[in-house]
Parts: sequence; structure tokens; C-alpha cells
Amino acid sequence: MVEGEDRMIVPAFLGDLGDALDFIFHERVGRGGAQIGGSQVLDLTVTHLELTLAAMAIAMVVGLPIGIWLGHARKGSFVAVTVANIGRAVPSIGIVFLFFAVLGAGFVNIMLALVLLAIPPILTNAYTGVREVDPEVVDAARGMGLTGAGIVRRIELPLALPLIFGGIKISMVNVIATATLGPEGGVVTLGDPIINPSTYGNAGRLGGALVVAALAVAAEVGLSAVQRAVTPEGLKSAGRARARRIRFPVTKRKVAPTS
Amino acid sequence: MTFSDTAQAEGPSPFHEAATLEFRHVSKTYRGTAEPAIRDLSFSVPAGDVCVLVGPSGCGKTTAMRLVNRMIEMSDGDILLDGRSVREWRPAELRRGIGYAIQQIGLFPHQTIGENIATVPRLLGWDKARIQARVGELLELIGLDGDMLGRYPSQLSGGQRQRVGVARALAGDPPLLLMDEPFGAIDPINRDRLQNEFLRLQGDLHKTVVFVTHDIDEAIKMGDRIAVLKKGGVLAQFAPPAELLMQPADEFVEDFVGADRALKRLALQRVRDIDLWRAPLVHVGDSTRAAREQAAHSDVPYPLLVDANGRPLAWLDEDDLRGERIEPGAGSPVLAIDADDVLRDALSELLRSEVQYGAVVDRAGRVTGVLSVEIMHAFLAPETKGDLDTAAFERRTSDHA
Repeated sequence: MVEGEDRMIVPAFLGDLGDALDFIFHERVGRGGAQIGGSQVLDLTVTHLELTLAAMAIAMVVGLPIGIWLGHARKGSFVAVTVANIGRAVPSIGIVFLFFAVLGAGFVNIMLALVLLAIPPILTNAYTGVREVDPEVVDAARGMGLTGAGIVRRIELPLALPLIFGGIKISMVNVIATATLGPEGGVVTLGDPIINPSTYGNAGRLGGALVVAALAVAAEVGLSAVQRAVTPEGLKSAGRARARRIRFPVTKRKVAPTS
Repeated sequence: MTFSDTAQAEGPSPFHEAATLEFRHVSKTYRGTAEPAIRDLSFSVPAGDVCVLVGPSGCGKTTAMRLVNRMIEMSDGDILLDGRSVREWRPAELRRGIGYAIQQIGLFPHQTIGENIATVPRLLGWDKARIQARVGELLELIGLDGDMLGRYPSQLSGGQRQRVGVARALAGDPPLLLMDEPFGAIDPINRDRLQNEFLRLQGDLHKTVVFVTHDIDEAIKMGDRIAVLKKGGVLAQFAPPAELLMQPADEFVEDFVGADRALKRLALQRVRDIDLWRAPLVHVGDSTRAAREQAAHSDVPYPLLVDANGRPLAWLDEDDLRGERIEPGAGSPVLAIDADDVLRDALSELLRSEVQYGAVVDRAGRVTGVLSVEIMHAFLAPETKGDLDTAAFERRTSDHA
């Protein structure tokens, strides 16, 4: 592969950004002698998404039932609030390094760290969404002979769906960003070019960051669309103010800072 | 659990038309409280009657209602529906057979009006065609257009939502309806209209209804029987509205019913239900001497001239009776009062027309008697045949003695 030819494709005035885009789309030999850029970025992206989706799947399997059940029972607000606060207080980088230190490197260990990060928004939003359903609506449902499961399925879940998907969205963006720490635990994600500039150079670092950012934005936009789609028709006019009022207070970090 | 086979064979709603309801020494004490919320409550409601539970806030009226469909479980005693303990059903199945309407309505905001109304029929497992027919029927019953079916609760006015709430409660054709301040959140004008609508509906449906309210006027208007509860869930009196107004069981009921209870009775009783005076009826061409004679022996001192069909024409006084025979066109105009009117309207007409007597007429317009200001007076204060204030004063002084 001739480097000069490839450079022609990306306009020069883009400068560093141009170099980064070039890294994303074209393979080259890195400083350590390995093939980097181009299809290798695709591999990194696939690993990144695998790690993210696996963590999200487990977090949803764990967080949604607990959140929905606590909200339905209208108790355990202590649990939900505590989980939310822990989620907010513990830095993601701390959890990943802690798991790495205690459990050692490996896909599963890093994934478990991400699961822990993903659960709080999912659980708390599910709890809040179900808990916020008008008690009079639930009372009417019960008074007409719906069973507990019937109330969850036909009343509480449909009404809580917008908030539930809001929680999933927040976790998803959060996990996509934090999965960049994967290489610290031996999982070579899109964080690799960001963490190892000695191998990838500045173009690789910026290119990796761009792809992570793109994934996060895509998740945000995509899940927002899903959120709108699952909002029940009858709530669409009245529901907007409600959704604004209760929002899970987790700060989003697109790319974790590293040295 | 003794959920019987016959009930299952008939489907989860084992009732038909109206059910009798009986409270037998029912008590409810919430955990962690010493004082019971309901204390030894006993009364029974015949099938098809509206029983109003009324009382000040904290008297346990809503609790009492919720014991019926086991939204709250009683601590002691029993509640019987058509002679069967409510404990014999599983709660969810019991509730499917009992209509339930609450003040806040609790319409499902994510479901259309049609879906909301179909809630119980769907739970009962009706087929689609039957549900659709029933929903249409109910919509007509509550006077809403068919195009409302696809709307959502947030697109309806408060009054419309309330109607839908009642329709939803009636959807499974339950023999018993529980209504907790169903018109409490509606403005006074619409509340009056909804109350009248419900009474009209009830006239056709003849459901047994338990109706909770804190408003004694609403209780008197809606109830066939009224249970007045006082603090601690104690039954102060259980009686039809007229009896409640005429013979309050104790000072609490008397206070609760209000100082204007005599006036309230006027809105309850109809002219035809009270003892009227007999009128000295005369016809054109009768001898004036006989007319004078008749009037002298009657409650009313003036002869009432009627036509051949018995319809009132005029009151005759001394001037009109001077001749030998009663002339056509003689006398002064007569106020005719419909025998179906409530006393309040009749009294209002008497006062507005500034007359002492009104001729009470039946549907054909024939005179059936005379209503006088004196009759109203006696009706309002039967104990003393006169002064209300004196009566109240005497009662109070005798209580102190």
C-alpha cells in the first residue's frame, strides 16, 4: 500500500481531522510493526460493540425486573435511590481498574464492571417510571379485577416505557464511552488507539475518539427515536412535561480521559 | 377458598341483575392502630337500591365501601352478596363482578375510550363481537358520540371522563356498583346534570349501588337508603332520606343533616304524597246557596268552580255568589299545581303567585285537592304545628334537664 496515494483522498485543509479520518478508512503499518487503521478499526469497533451489548443485555436482565418490581410494589425507594447515588458517585474508571486489579484481565471481567455501571440508570428509571404511574389509575385497575401481573403488563409497563427506554439510553451511551477502557483489562476495544498513541500516533488517537463519539451519538439518536415510538399515544401531549421532570441524573462522558 | 363449581361454570361473574348486600357486624382495624376504622357495622341493602354512605371525613365511609370488593380486607364480621360471603371469591374475580367508579376516575391514559370501557368484559373473556356491541350500547347510554371511541382520556372534558368512568364500571353488567364520590371533582352545574343522568340510568338499570359522599344533599338526592357514619366508623343512622330528615336518630345526625333539614324535605316529597284539603267543587249553574253551604263545611272557605271535566276555572268569593245561580266567567284566577311536583316547587309557586291556596290537579288536569300555605306550614314543623324555633329551643332545654 502506497501512503502517498491514500493521502490524496482526504482534503489537506482538514489537518489533524483529515489524518484521523484517513486512519479510520485506511490500513497502514503502526510504529510497532502491526497493521493498524482501516479494517483494523472495524475489528476494534466490533469488539467494542460486543463488549457494550453484552454488558447492556446483562444489565437490563438484572436491572429492569428489579426496578419494575420495586416500582410496582411501591416500596424500596431506599434501594432505588441508593443504587442511583452509587451509580453517580463511583467513577467508571475506578470500577474498571478495580475489577482488573481484583479479578484480572479478560472480556468477562471488564464486561462485569460495565454491567455495574449500566445497572443504576436502568434500574432507577424503571423504578421511577412504574412508581410514577398515577395511583388512582392503578387503584381503578385493581378495583376492576386486574391481577398484580395484569396491572404490570397492561397498565404500569406501557405507561413506564418512555422512562424505561430513557434509562437504557443513558446506560448505553455511558457504557459505549466507558468501554474505551477495555484495553486496560486486555479487551482491545476502540480505546486502544486512544490509550496507546505510541503505537497509533495522533491520527489513531483522534480517529478512535471519533468512532467512539459517533457510536455514542448514534445510540443516543437511535434510542431517542425508540423512546418516542414507545410513548403511548394517549400520553404524547400530556407526557412531555412529565418526562422532563424526572430524568436520571448521570453525567455522560463521551471519552474517558487517559494519559 | 370455596370458589364453587357453579360460579365457574357460569364464568367469573356469577351475579345477575341486582344483588342484595348485607354488612354483618363488620369491623376493620388497621395494623398498628388501636382504634378501629369501622366498628361493628351492620345494615342490609335490598337488591336494586342505592345505598349512600355519608359522613364527615375520617368516618370510614370509603373504607366501608372498599371492604365490599376486598380492596381492603375486613378484620371481623362478614359481608354478604346475594347471601354469599365475599370471602368465597378470589379477590380479582369478585371485583370483576362489581362495578367500581372512583372520584379521580382513573381512566387508563394510554388506552382509548373504547379500550377503557372494554376492560372488564375483556377480563371476563367475552368475544370481540360481544365486547364491541356492549361498548357501543354503553356509549349510547351515557350519551357520547360513537366517534369518541378512538379518543384518549386526555382529549375529553371532565364531565365526559366521568361518564366514561361510569360506563366502564357498568361494562360487565355487574349486579352491584361501588361509587366513591364519583361526582366530587365536577363543577356544581355539571355535577347536578351528572347526578340526574345517573338517577335516570339507575331508573332503567336497577343496580344495587353503594355510593360514598361527604355531601348530605347529594346523599338525600341519590339515596334510597342512607347510612350516616360518624368518627370511628360507627353507624349513626340507617334510614330512607325522608326518615333521616324527619327523625334524626341523635344530635350528631341532626347536626350533620343540617339546620335546613325541614327545607330539604320539601325537595323530597311530592304534592300527591301528602294530605291535601278537600275543595268545595261547584259547577256553572249550581245554586249559590248550596255553594255557600258547601264552602262553609269545607277546609277551604271559597268554592272552587270547575268545568264538566273537573278542571279548575275560578275561585268564587262573596261577590260572585250574590245571584241565584253561579254565572259563567265569574270569580278570580286559580293557581293549578301539578300533583307530581315536589313540595319545594309547589311552595315556590304559591309564594310567587301570592296566593294562599292552589288547586292540585292530576295528569288529566282534574282537581284532586287543595294545597294551602297552612298545609306546608304543618308539614315543615309537624311536632308543634307551628314555630320551628320554639321546637328546637324546647328540645335543647329538655336535653339539658
